[in-house]
Order: sequence, then C-alpha cells, then structure tokens
Amino acid sequence: MAAFGGRRLLWHGRCWFSQTESSVSSQPSDSLYPPIVASATAKSKAAKRRRLEHFNQRVHAAASIEEKLRLYGQLQRPKYMVYPQTFALNADRWYRSFTKTVFVPGLPPAAVAPEAAKAPEPAAAAPGAAKSPEAAAEAAPNLDVDELRSLACDALLQESFYQNKKRPFLYRDQDHTPGPFLTQLVSTLAAFLCGRNPLLAASSLDLKPEVNYYWHHGEEVVVHGHRKGRVDPVRFQIDDNPHLQIRVPKQLPEIVPLDSDLGDVPVIDHKPSKLPLFKKQYENKVFIGSKVADPCCYGHTQFHLIPDKLKRERFLRVNLEDQIEVLYRANGIASLFAWTAAQAMYQGFWNEADVTRPFVSQAVVTDGRYFAFFCYQLNTLALTVETIQNNPRKNICWGTDSQPLYDVVEDGNVKGFNDEVLLKLVHFLLNRPKEL
Amino acid sequence: MATGVRKAVYPLFQLGGPQLRIFRPNFFMLAVRPGVPQPEDTVQFRVSMEMTKVDIKNYLEKIYNVPVAAVRTRIQYGANNKRNHKNQRVKKPDYKVAYVQLGQGQTFQFPNLFPEKEQDAEARSFDDFKDKYMEREKQRQKGDPRRGGVPDWFGL
Repeated sequence: MAAFGGRRLLWHGRCWFSQTESSVSSQPSDSLYPPIVASATAKSKAAKRRRLEHFNQRVHAAASIEEKLRLYGQLQRPKYMVYPQTFALNADRWYRSFTKTVFVPGLPPAAVAPEAAKAPEPAAAAPGAAKSPEAAAEAAPNLDVDELRSLACDALLQESFYQNKKRPFLYRDQDHTPGPFLTQLVSTLAAFLCGRNPLLAASSLDLKPEVNYYWHHGEEVVVHGHRKGRVDPVRFQIDDNPHLQIRVPKQLPEIVPLDSDLGDVPVIDHKPSKLPLFKKQYENKVFIGSKVADPCCYGHTQFHLIPDKLKRERFLRVNLEDQIEVLYRANGIASLFAWTAAQAMYQGFWNEADVTRPFVSQAVVTDGRYFAFFCYQLNTLALTVETIQNNPRKNICWGTDSQPLYDVVEDGNVKGFNDEVLLKLVHFLLNRPKEL
Repeated sequence: MATGVRKAVYPLFQLGGPQLRIFRPNFFMLAVRPGVPQPEDTVQFRVSMEMTKVDIKNYLEKIYNVPVAAVRTRIQYGANNKRNHKNQRVKKPDYKVAYVQLGQGQTFQFPNLFPEKEQDAEARSFDDFKDKYMEREKQRQKGDPRRGGVPDWFGL
C-alpha cells in the first residue's frame, strides 16, 4: 500500500523519528539501548508500514490547514479524473461506489421549522410526495408566492424575450439564455430572501467557482511502467466548475444522525477505466471555491448548468432516455461529495482523522428548464483500504428527478409555470442552522 | 464463365426513390472473449480497420437488431519484433477493437466454447487403467529405490 508520500525526504541524518515510533517492544524507559523497531529504509513490508505511519504522524502534526493539505497532496501519481457531468452510461452507480454514497430518492423530510410564524412550510413533506397547495396558502402572509413567481418570470422574460440578443453561437446555447437566467434568478431570490434567512445576508455568492477534491479508494496492481507489480491505492480527482455557489460562515444542520444506514452502496468489481474513466497526473488540489482563511468556509447551495453536449435532446435522439436522470444524479453526487469533502478537509479532517460531525450541502442541477434538487450529507472521509475496513458509516445523497420549471415562453408570457419547483428552490435557499 | 452476360445498369439512387439494390456491407465483426474482465453490458469485438463507431452501431442495430447504447474503439498495433528464418521482421497485423455497451439493460457473457465433456463409465475406467499402466511402466524404468537414484551401470 503506497503512502501519500513525503517519506523520501527526511530519513537522512534525522534521529528524532525513532522516538515517534509506537510499535516498540516493551522496554523499561531507563534501558541503555535504543528501542528495537523495524528499519525505515529497507525494502520490506514492515519498513513500508513504518514510513506510512511516519507520514500519517507528520500530517496529524501539521501546523496549519494549508500545510496539512500540502502534505496530503504532495505525492503526484497518475489518477482517475472524475467528471461530474458525464455522458458515461450508469455513471451514477459507479460514482456511488467510488464515494461510498447511498442514494435516497426524494428530498429528506425537512427539519421542523423552529418558529412556525417565521419559517415557511416545508416544500417536500415526504420523499417524492407532491406538495400540498394548502401549505403554500397558509404561508402566504410570510412567503409571497406571487412575488416570487413574478421575480422568476421577470428574470426569465428579461433573458429570453425582452433583451435583444444575437443568435447563439454554435453549441453555445446554454451560455446564451439559461446561464444568465440562472444567475439572475438566484441572485434576485437570494437578495429577496435575505430578510427571512440571515445566513444568506452573511453568505458569499461565487460565479463560476472551482471546486476540487483528491482522494484514494480501493487498491490496484500497477500494470506497466517501472513500478509494475506494486500494489497502489486507486487515486481520484474531481475538478468541478459549478455555475454558481453560495458559501456561508455557519454550517447547515445535519439531516440524519452520523451513523445512519439508509441503504446500500453498490460494489463494482471492475476497474474504473471500464466506465470509461481516464488517468492523468497533475496537481492534487483540494479547494472549496475560496482559500482556507475565508470566513465563509461552509457550503450552502451549488447550482450546476448542464452543458450543450449533454442536453436532453441529444439523449432522446439516440434512445437513451433513462440516462438523462443518470446524468443529473451523477452530477449531484460527484459535485456535492467533492464540495463537502473539501469543506471537511478545510476543517482539518482527512481519511485518518474522520469527521466528527456531518457536513451538509445542497445542489440544484438544471439545464435552464428542468430542475433537479440534491441534498448531501458527508458522514465519512475514510475511504482508503486501511480505514474503510472498520468503518460502518456511509455518505447519503437525497435527490429528486428533474422537473420543468415552465413549459414555454411565448410572446412575453411564461406558460405552464410550476410553483412546486420554485418553492423547492426557495426552501433550499431558506435552509439554515437552527440557532439562526 | 458465362459469355454474353452484360452487366445490368440500375438507375442512380436518390433519397426517396425506389430501392432496387441492397448492398451488403463488406465489413465483418468478430465477437471475442475479453482479455481483461469487462462489465456485464459490454461486448468486445474485433472489427475491420475502416469501421467507425457509427458504422458499428448501425451494423449491429440494423442487421442483428441488437440495441446499442455506446461504442468505444481503439486500434491495436500488431508487433513487428518476430523474425523469420531470413532474419526479416514479421509483422503481426493491426486490428481494431470495439467495446459495445448494450442498451435496454441487456447483458452479455462470452460463452464457454470448449466445455468439459462428461465422461461415461467406460471412458473413465479406461482412463484409470491407462493411468495405472503408465505408473507401472515408470516404476519398472526406475531402478532399485535402495540405490537412491544412482544408475545400474555404476558399481563393480
């Protein structure tokens, strides 16, 4: 099992490492002889274990989070690049096995509103159940659905009808109308709901941020090269660019307790390259969208835009209707896993120091018309071969199918506007910790 | 060779016109057992070098009615290292490999083409007899075990 690296630098001329060893045979402390431990530089499994142990101690003892991240991703080796938005068939099943995630259809039963007068009625009372219209009417004095609808329709009409835009360039349809519409919608809704949710007032809205995460999961034998025959961990890297992201200074509350078991994680025996997934060697980056010193270090909601290459029409043309939902799910699972895990690493947790509290984030995946909502709870970061053995915890992802927000925009009117989708979006934005 | 057979002249085909001729493709596809384990919905083929992914998809869908979800291809270079009796390099031919993922949830497992045949009692008893005979012959060839493998001609 290869270590994360850094073991090659410090063995010459440093004698302090011998005192950090814990696997010493019991000797009285006043013994004349140094402790008997395995060699640190031999070509043996004991020496390998000792180097690994030393590396883990170095990371545990790192002075700052930046130093910890630097040591964690120091050793560069070829790794699989996991793309959240992918055309690969049944990608969501593979991604669930890479990230030890359980997928639960439907949104979680929303947390009980702290004060009924203040908070709106939850939009999704049961997994997959339709929202009752009475709840919206009751919350009308607190949450003006008409006002929200008019805001959404204004943004939509401004981008697609009133504004005089030239024809979109080839394969740039998504950047032409749905992209700006999504930005406008989210920023106006967030500004409108600031009064209700003080967390939004203290939040930070990122445009086209970068989210990266690097992790190990499973083992494989190196096939060719000068390292042929050695057993290596399988390395993955997610480099994601959500369209929009809201980061907040306080963490969202947990949805279910840390050790809940809501389903099974698929186990796939084949190598990830059969997905297809390809390997490359480059910087092992862990990034949430802002650097470590930023006060808004927890995630609230991400918004993803489906690119032109993966539009609905393309799937329908080649008779792959079932893969449309797979695309949304894979995007939700991979992006949210990367974001929550990077947030956990920013707080100092890593696979040897597992999270002590769950990290929760939300995401909305859309192609401009169809919206799918996802909630993710990160319960464990320990996915390497050694740490996964006695780890019963699983990460959980709740998600809905994609539903249209509107049917068509004609002559300055939005036809078939769907209030449920809008209310789910608003409910997502209003999510906040119980203290606030 | 028949004499006096003139080649038939067909009108030029344009889209929408009557189809008077059917062209069978000159491509051939060979389903092979994968060298490394593949997922259940993936079938591995050796195809002609000139076939494209679209060709492979249409070939399987139109001729064999197999729903195809995705096709990936690669070209396998045949090595040029072996030498013949004249010390000339002998090239193994290149070929294209296609990995076809089946649609509609279908799976495929490459069949075992050479299954072990059930031996009847006669054949089994004959095999036992043969094994015992070979064992006895080998024992006869070996010398006295007390000599520890040393040959007979060694000694006084």
